[in-house]
Amino acid sequence: MRPDERHNMGHEGPAAPRGVAGTGERYEADQPEPPQPQQPPMAPAPPVVGTLQALGQTNVPQLESNIYCLTIIGQIEGHLQLPPHNKTTKYEHILPQLVAAEQNPHIEGILILLNTVGGDVEAGLAIAECIASLTKPTVSLVLGGGHSIGVPIAVAADHSFIAETATMTIHPIRLTGLVIGVPQTFEYIDKMQERVVRFVARHSKCSEEQFKELMFKTGELTRDIGTNVIGPDAVKYGLIDAVGGLGEAIAELNRRIEAHREKRKRDVTVQ
Amino acid sequence: MIHYAALPLELVFEGVETYRPDLVETRVGGVTMLIERTGPAEGRIVRLISPNPQDFLNPQFAPGTMVRFAPQWG
Repeated sequence: MRPDERHNMGHEGPAAPRGVAGTGERYEADQPEPPQPQQPPMAPAPPVVGTLQALGQTNVPQLESNIYCLTIIGQIEGHLQLPPHNKTTKYEHILPQLVAAEQNPHIEGILILLNTVGGDVEAGLAIAECIASLTKPTVSLVLGGGHSIGVPIAVAADHSFIAETATMTIHPIRLTGLVIGVPQTFEYIDKMQERVVRFVARHSKCSEEQFKELMFKTGELTRDIGTNVIGPDAVKYGLIDAVGGLGEAIAELNRRIEAHREKRKRDVTVQ
Repeated sequence: MIHYAALPLELVFEGVETYRPDLVETRVGGVTMLIERTGPAEGRIVRLISPNPQDFLNPQFAPGTMVRFAPQWG
């Protein structure tokens, strides 16, 4: 085969499709090339190409998963698009994904993987509230870090895990933008903070008082007020249900999916 | 807006004044989306605008994916 002929194979110029000449069939340029009927080779293939059995492509095993894996990484981006050097999780993409996961009958459980430094309060709480109100089983796993607004997202799941080395920083909320130096500013921040505190207290075994104590602790963080809780400490304070890794998280999710199936089956038979 | 993060704010918002992406609203594969233009006919998906939640599960439409679209000038 001459090089110019080989070049033609990938494209469909006026001469294409080869091999069905005379049948009057034409194909649109954007369509993938249909399988060509077997034809005697026009010229003997070069020895190197002829000996090739397969090209070096790995086969990724395709598995129809019944778990929807939601990864929350970097910054949780809110109303303001962050500069491009930030790695962000976009809440406006996550929220409809959760709607789709709840609606899609092929998805039976949701696994939330967290490694976030925090981000926008409104966006984080929106994601957390959505996760908490899903009817499908949810399990979260904190890896690396689940700081600040990552804490309510981690506790929003039905069952939460934290890796032994993962940390969670619990610190007070800071206001960005225009700060007006009146007592109302403080009250406003306090109110916003209260939303996070209440959510965490409602969705974990950590009480409001305990969480606030961690939040306002001094002498733990170098330049800030707050606490850094590592793996087993998060479980000790009741924030997270158990220390574990991916294996434990998936096993727990599968167990919950099974229980959820059983319950639905029972509900159907009762009706 | 309240930013609640463990990273220093100056690090997060560095360059926010000069960051002006060239955003185009267009339709790709039947879905309206906001694209950050990187060439005359290609760009990176910033946001989907779709009422169908299943579109958001499509990995081809994940934010950050490079797509080609009908060229727009002006």
